[in-house]
Amino acid sequence: MAFEIPKIKYTGRIKEVEVGTGPRAVKVGGATCYPFYSFEGDMPNVPKVAFEVWDSPPEEWQDWAVEPYRDVIGDPAAWAKKCIEAYGAEMIVLQLRSADPNGENKPAEEVVEVVKKVADAIDVPLVVWGTANDDKDSELLRRVAEVCEGKNVAVGPVTDKNYKQIGAMAIGYGQVVMASSPIDVNLAKQLNILLGNLGVSEEKVIIDPTTGGLGYGLEYTYSVMERDRMAALTQEDAKLQFPIICNIAPEVWKTRETRLTKEEDPKLGDEKKRSVLMEAVTAMTLLVAGADIVVMRHPDSVSLVRDMIGELCA
Amino acid sequence: MNLKTMPREYRIRFLPIDRTIPAEEGENLLEIAMKAGVHINASCGGRGACGKCRVRIADGSVESSPHSSLSEKDEAIGFRLACSSSIKGDAIVEIPLESQVDRSILRRSAVMSDVDAGAIDRSLLCQYGCEALVGRYNLRLPRPDMQDNVSDAARLMRCLAPRIGCEEPLVPLGVMRDLGGGLRETDWNITVNVATGGQMREITRIARGDREKDHYAIAVDVGTTTIAAQLIQCDNGKEPSGNSYDDARRGRMILATSSDYNGQISYGEDVISRIMYARKPKGLKKLQDVVVSTINRLIGEIVEEAGIDPADISHIVAAGNTTMMHLLYGIDPTHIMLAPYTPLTTAFAPVVPRDIGLDPGEHARLYAIPGVASYVGGDIVSGVTLSGMTESNEVSLFMDIGTNGEIVLGNSQWLLCASCSAGPAFEGGGIQHGMRAAPGAIEKVRVNPVTLEPMILTIGRTKPLGICGSGLIDLVADLFLAGVIDRNGKFSTDKPTERIRKDASGREYVLCFAAETRIERDIVLTEIDLDNLMRTKAAIYAGCKVLLENGGLAFTDLAMVIIAGGFGHSIDVEKAIAIGLLPELPVERFRFLGNASLGGARIAAASRAFFERTSEVAGSMTNIELSNNTQFMDEFMAALFLPHTDEKAFPGVMKGMKIGNR
Repeated sequence: MAFEIPKIKYTGRIKEVEVGTGPRAVKVGGATCYPFYSFEGDMPNVPKVAFEVWDSPPEEWQDWAVEPYRDVIGDPAAWAKKCIEAYGAEMIVLQLRSADPNGENKPAEEVVEVVKKVADAIDVPLVVWGTANDDKDSELLRRVAEVCEGKNVAVGPVTDKNYKQIGAMAIGYGQVVMASSPIDVNLAKQLNILLGNLGVSEEKVIIDPTTGGLGYGLEYTYSVMERDRMAALTQEDAKLQFPIICNIAPEVWKTRETRLTKEEDPKLGDEKKRSVLMEAVTAMTLLVAGADIVVMRHPDSVSLVRDMIGELCA
Repeated sequence: MNLKTMPREYRIRFLPIDRTIPAEEGENLLEIAMKAGVHINASCGGRGACGKCRVRIADGSVESSPHSSLSEKDEAIGFRLACSSSIKGDAIVEIPLESQVDRSILRRSAVMSDVDAGAIDRSLLCQYGCEALVGRYNLRLPRPDMQDNVSDAARLMRCLAPRIGCEEPLVPLGVMRDLGGGLRETDWNITVNVATGGQMREITRIARGDREKDHYAIAVDVGTTTIAAQLIQCDNGKEPSGNSYDDARRGRMILATSSDYNGQISYGEDVISRIMYARKPKGLKKLQDVVVSTINRLIGEIVEEAGIDPADISHIVAAGNTTMMHLLYGIDPTHIMLAPYTPLTTAFAPVVPRDIGLDPGEHARLYAIPGVASYVGGDIVSGVTLSGMTESNEVSLFMDIGTNGEIVLGNSQWLLCASCSAGPAFEGGGIQHGMRAAPGAIEKVRVNPVTLEPMILTIGRTKPLGICGSGLIDLVADLFLAGVIDRNGKFSTDKPTERIRKDASGREYVLCFAAETRIERDIVLTEIDLDNLMRTKAAIYAGCKVLLENGGLAFTDLAMVIIAGGFGHSIDVEKAIAIGLLPELPVERFRFLGNASLGGARIAAASRAFFERTSEVAGSMTNIELSNNTQFMDEFMAALFLPHTDEKAFPGVMKGMKIGNR
């Protein structure tokens, strides 16, 4: 008798969620197997890398992070276009940093103008990432959902504190919501149930499990995502069968290891190479755990990650 | 069964819903309606103050007191207040329009009450015998003469030995000194108290004359929040006869009961803050004094109520959690709260109560039901032994819902136990208008799912003071099933009623408006209350789940789920299932024991064999530590939802919810 590789029996399927419209709309999810286990099931949609763009010039960025975007960093629409045209971005994540009440705290209306400009300037799907302040996001993301009508954007993070306000607008204007919970399978599931009860369609939900950077809690995110996928695919847990997005870039690039220069700590080696590897390894790890969209910053780390996805899906 | 003692039973039919249920003579109409799942608006707790519970007696008659809200004309055509009406025959009761609800959304209730303690007591005393921990024996000694002039003491032993089955009980010097005069003055007719202490027996008192019937003991449940005490009539050595007269007399084994908040509450609400306080200079002594004075006050009350001579109290049996027992005995509890959580002791030898400051005389003895571990104390052992789960081959789950949630799983061969820091929500702690189950506490609630108007009953049928655990369970379940509370325990915002309103700290539901209460403030349920309740119920459910998994079992494998705790005189099992406090199992598998700790202490006071059995039970429990258990944390998060994140575990509730939400 010929040797047969033991296979896992899957009973579930990740729901397919579409973001954006037109020819460059992106589909994520749809898998019937663990990440890259195409020998056991289908993975119809290859995981996507989304480039991050900040809504106002980032002041704390390392010089080697600014470098690829130096010419466009003051203009979010131009920045987004450069990501698409120069670096082949398939998705753009607009991080609404300037609205953060702990920072500049720009009024929602002002920020929404920027969102509208970026949305109009690009033809790839747009993901709009709020401030992670429940109250501010509740106001801000509702308006975002409204001004992006017809563009099928993804808005988030949506939490158990503001899901009603944002969820209702997302339903009304046909946007996708990113349901965010603090690194816990049960809390992720609970928020998905609440969104379902509110009336958010199952094709309009992406999970944000909360991301830790390499060396800063990555393993927690990793095991929670693993468990999300086990529950979704082998335990028929319908409330966890959603694609996952990981907002990696801001987590990785704020760590000490991406900030110190070679002069400050010679042991750590070249700062740019080090930072790029930090970002790439974080993204690769989370892709293996089940991420469908990874949000990244540096074109060099993106290209490493694309190579990996390409090889694993070949 | 003695038919004479059975109250007459009648049939009460409610219209227009057309539901008929049996009721006993004298039963209150509002309570019957609640039992039948018939909604009648009522907001004063059944005191006859609000005049809202108007019903029309269409046929038959009830015993009613008149009320100012009913005009003569109303009364003439049959209107009465349900709360002030009692049953004296079959009746047809019409519910007026303002109280009506679509029958499809009404659920029958599955209220379980702890009032049947008498039957449990009787069957346990049959099983274990009723030789008390301290026996009281009337002896008539043969007078000495020249042929038989052995010592007074030897003469006493000769008479006593066959009665107590011990040849040489200890006789302390003080008791010995009393012997001589007593014997001669009473014509050799004396009554002797004999205490049990391990293998030893000791004569603790010699009274003059025949005092055998004046034989009393006190059972105390030393809870973190509440202390309850009962005065027990001991029935030394007389086996229950099966004779209905004797059995009815044994139903009166409890002569008086009283309870109050543990005076230590001012020094912290939970055991950890008490231990912290005990570590301060003189803190331990202070806490001991405070709890002792609470117990002394309760003893004083019940002794007075029963009108007995306190000198006839022969012993006290206390059951409490390990920390409370350390504090009662004045033993350093520090290491209970420090890893690896070792108590100084879990077993306490009998002592003279006065040695720790308790009132009963020098001759009395204080016993304690032994515990298992730092967070599974004698209160749990007491309840588990009382529940009888240790005598069955089938597996049962015992849960005591107090300031902590303690749970025990097992049968006659093995027992697993665990403690989950559940928080005191069901005893009223952390709930704005929460209170323990005392007069004035709202103990039953129904909420009309359409109008969201409440129907409440209070303990003692007085104007409400607050809500106790059973009322809280009812209220949250009904609001949840009516769609007023979301699955994450927050009020939904779109229900049109003046009872839901928003203030600075969030939304709240007004259960009673100020004018209907005794506190002259609105009695409300807030979102913070809901958070605390959710945490409590989640911890208890998660603890059960982890314990079951450790035993390789599922909820469906349980023959019985026994619920104990001081959260009320009754629990509506279906409501407790609806909020996910209890697992969704057929209602007939649940038993409600009320204050099982006190119940066990009571039986132990009356039966030495039962007390000895508690030691065996304590010895056979294996404690599972949950405080560092990751599986417990995970189950806790999963249970922090209504009824639970796992919808498959609550199919019935999920179905009921869909009906409630249109």
